Amino acid sequence: MENLEEKIVQADSLETLEKVRVELFGKKGILAAQFAKMKDVPGPEKKAFAQGLNENKAALQASFDARYEVLKAEEIDRLLKSEEIDVSLYGTLAQKGALHPVMETMDKIIDYFVALNFAVESGPMVEDDFHNFEALNLPKYHPARDMQDTFYFKDSGLLRTHTSPVQIRTMMETKPPIRMIAPGTVFRRDYDLTHTPMFHQVEGLVVEDKGKVSFANLKAILTDFLQYMFGDVEVRFRPSFFPFTEPSAEVDISCIFCEGEGCRVCSHTGWLEVLGCGIVDPNVFKAVGYEDVSGYAFGLGVERFAMLMHKIPDLRSLFEGDIRLLEQFR
Amino acid sequence: MIVTRSWLNEFIDLSKVSNEKLYETFNAIGLEVDSIEQVDIADKVVVGKVLSVEKHPDADKLNVCQIDVGSGTRQIVCGAANVVDAEYVAVATIGAVLPGDFAIKHAKLRGVESEGMVCASSELGLPDMGKGIMILDSSIGELTVGAELSSYPNVADTIIELELTANRGDCLSIYGVARDLSAALDIEMKRFEYKQEDKIKLGIAREAEIHIEGSMDGDLHYKLAKIDNITVSFLVKLRLAMVSVEAEGALNSLLAYATHTTGVILRAYDSTFFRNEDNKVCVLPKAKAQGIIEVTSTKYNASVVGVSQEDEAKANDDTKELLLEASYINPDTLVEAIHNTELRTDDLYYKTSRGSNPDLVLGLECLGLLMDKYTDISCYEGSLNVSVDREKERVAVDAKEISSIVGMDIEISKIVTILKKLGFEISTMGAETVSAVVPLFRHDIKHIQDVSEEIVRIIGINNIMAKPLVFAEQPRLNDTTDRYKAKKSFKNRAVGTGFYENVSYVFSERSLLEKYGFSTVEDSLDLANPIAEELNTMRSTILVNLLNAAKRNVSYTKKSIPLFEMGAVFGSKREQSEVISFVFSGQVEGESISNAGKPQNIDFATFTQKVGAVIGAFELVPCTATNDLIHPYQSADVIVDDKVCGFISKLHPTVQESFDIPVTFIAELDFDAFLPKHINATPISKFQGVYKDLSVVIDKSLNYYEVAKVLNALELPTLKDAYPVDIYKDEKLGDKKSLTIRFFIQSMEKTLEDADIESVMSEIMSALETECKAELR
Repeated sequence: MENLEEKIVQADSLETLEKVRVELFGKKGILAAQFAKMKDVPGPEKKAFAQGLNENKAALQASFDARYEVLKAEEIDRLLKSEEIDVSLYGTLAQKGALHPVMETMDKIIDYFVALNFAVESGPMVEDDFHNFEALNLPKYHPARDMQDTFYFKDSGLLRTHTSPVQIRTMMETKPPIRMIAPGTVFRRDYDLTHTPMFHQVEGLVVEDKGKVSFANLKAILTDFLQYMFGDVEVRFRPSFFPFTEPSAEVDISCIFCEGEGCRVCSHTGWLEVLGCGIVDPNVFKAVGYEDVSGYAFGLGVERFAMLMHKIPDLRSLFEGDIRLLEQFR
Repeated sequence: MIVTRSWLNEFIDLSKVSNEKLYETFNAIGLEVDSIEQVDIADKVVVGKVLSVEKHPDADKLNVCQIDVGSGTRQIVCGAANVVDAEYVAVATIGAVLPGDFAIKHAKLRGVESEGMVCASSELGLPDMGKGIMILDSSIGELTVGAELSSYPNVADTIIELELTANRGDCLSIYGVARDLSAALDIEMKRFEYKQEDKIKLGIAREAEIHIEGSMDGDLHYKLAKIDNITVSFLVKLRLAMVSVEAEGALNSLLAYATHTTGVILRAYDSTFFRNEDNKVCVLPKAKAQGIIEVTSTKYNASVVGVSQEDEAKANDDTKELLLEASYINPDTLVEAIHNTELRTDDLYYKTSRGSNPDLVLGLECLGLLMDKYTDISCYEGSLNVSVDREKERVAVDAKEISSIVGMDIEISKIVTILKKLGFEISTMGAETVSAVVPLFRHDIKHIQDVSEEIVRIIGINNIMAKPLVFAEQPRLNDTTDRYKAKKSFKNRAVGTGFYENVSYVFSERSLLEKYGFSTVEDSLDLANPIAEELNTMRSTILVNLLNAAKRNVSYTKKSIPLFEMGAVFGSKREQSEVISFVFSGQVEGESISNAGKPQNIDFATFTQKVGAVIGAFELVPCTATNDLIHPYQSADVIVDDKVCGFISKLHPTVQESFDIPVTFIAELDFDAFLPKHINATPISKFQGVYKDLSVVIDKSLNYYEVAKVLNALELPTLKDAYPVDIYKDEKLGDKKSLTIRFFIQSMEKTLEDADIESVMSEIMSALETECKAELR
């Protein structure tokens, strides 16, 4: 018996153990032979004999199971070890591309306003004088037209200089109340270190009944929006002038580079100009045939937001498909 | 617009206002501060009195000066020629440290002792005032020999550059800016008081006359003066330099100074230009059109009011008798008229077009004061005037309406106070309403919202409490929003597939588009004023832009260049549509351990797979696109929902070579074809299906899509799927090839038996035999 036990413990592989199993527990095994002797045992002793055999078998089975567990675990361990690789070799295989930082910034802006129940609207890039200027209170000889160097076509068309014509189109096609943003591509005839002939804007417009929309509302939404975009910044409103809004303001955030201390980026003022906004000028409503309404509008340059948010130094690099820049945004 | 603190101080007492407060106030009232510069004069720079000047014994260009500097007389060698004219000068004494860390020490110049330096403006950090040393005079205040120059506030001034918005012509003068500050800071304006003494007791009418022609819409004031020895004070020169106004000669300097001070448009004529046959000065203003007034003599044109002046009519420093003119014309009508007539305009036009100061008396008095102080000037009594009776602009101002626009309760009394300070005349209409007469210098104010802007400016936006707008909920999802979302999801898929998003100009180079066989915008509809040759038309493809980007990336040593762009392209009628374009250049993946540092180049199969991962399922058929970027034997039309929606191709090797880029694949597809569509699910069979392969021999030239067409036409209900898995060609097959197709066969009703499967396969085979002349291999 102890000899048999020894055989199990001595088995050093699953194969040997399997042989031991056949030798002990097989049909023609040692235990089977001992059980066969049962028929020769006299009646009264049969019970005790059988009990002895069963106990013996159970003990051996337990030893066998224990040994099997050990050997099986050892084998799995060996298998695992044989599959070992240096995982650190493969850390650089990701093939993901990247969204363009300007487009991603635009998405973030759109997400904010869509969450506030703004509709997204769009319009054509090729516009006419009425939608781009005239209806926005910018008559032909208005000095503010100087601010917007325009691309003209040989016929009467022009490339929109801002996304504001989408406001006009939306107002002419629908009735108030209006709550919309217009993200889009715009064009100005200007090309130097800080200007590209094409860039992106997001325009916002809200129109409600007369007396409902106030400058205080504009302050509330834009302050919250800028803190959503730039984090914990101070927001400052400065009165300004746009032909299509009155009163108008330019909106600054405290400089995110120097935290208001004054640096090169903010021209040592501690502030960065990021937005224009105002209460819609009555002449704009008149141009689209609206009466007894009030509204606010705002507009921003997406490139400027992207450059500030991601500290991108060079505007023109944004239009060159430079993978060295883009791959940083994976 | 550039102002200085001391100059403003002539109209408003700023002694209790710090520079920080001033800066803050300007920004708060919408006069954005561009820059602010404090002029600091170094210590030990003092007022000196030149006692004598002698030529340096050994140097032609040097003078040896004896100068009283208060604490004694110093010998100073000076190189400036104009020191001989000087009485009072700025002397940097020993120990002074000038800008640029220039310390003044004892020196010997060509053997002569020098104890200090006589300074030019730029040496002290002041704006450049021209050649030579500064010659001081009492215009900056009483000159005390030995007094520190920094104690003169007119010299150690603060220069502030304001960025004015297009509507604020009223702030294009020191006076106008002071008026705005007065309202914001609640400090009364100082009265400008000067009554010029008319030294000639002869009325102007005895010597000059004015006759108008047509209906005048401008104001004109004329004074006639005899003049001798015209000079300009140090302060006038210094301040003009500080505000970067250039003027040639004394007369022009005085005119420019008076205009910058008051905002009134001033011109000076030589009176002889207007003398007629009776030797009388005869001024003839003629209204040519709305907004255009020509001033002429009996013979010649002298000027166009607010627009330009003929050189022949201009007075100069030698003129003995001046005809001085102050003018005002409404900028709205003027600007429109100039736009229509395209008249030549001079420097003053900028001011008139933005709205000059209509207070002509102020302008002439300011000029008179300047001339009187430093010049022998004798004016004739009175002036010749043309004045227009204008309808005054009135706005009914309701406190409630203003409050609702601003979003905060503002009392009518507060509104009245602000408007009065800004020059409005107020008369009461009701308890909460007043009538406000808009001053002529604020031609930009036309309605109640313009008035609210004034209130907002002066109250300060920072003092308005932010208040969220309450609005009625309403679903605002629309087609544009859906489209935007769809685009975003395609972009994200492209990024997930390894592409980088490119953004390029919606422009292209016409000749390049033509060269590569793309359509171009019809010439008559094309850009009239492109900004550069390479951006001279609207693009009809994004691919050329992407190939340029690929080329740049090659030069940045990038080896795997996967780019995509989604954007607008334009047809020949300039119609706008949206496409998604892909360019993949070079290695299919990064160099790594798994490819032993030698990745494959991109190929048709991998590129197509990647594009498919972005846009979804499509079929490929032989290419019908005709542009010259396409490789004739590795290109395909992309079919979605039975429609061609673009192409996919290897880049033509010639083009590849001319861009100097590695193996490249391109695709350009109409975005609209991929907009998400509604999908209904089809039932899934519960029964076992089987895969069966069939190898057939067909003509080498037969494309798979022809085979697929035949299989589809069979419309076998149990044929669930069929796809090619192998192509085999060898010499024995000659102009034939072997094609292996794998079929998946499954029934909705039962588990298929061998006989069922055999019958399907034989139906397929016989169709291929008839339609494709296929033989079983």
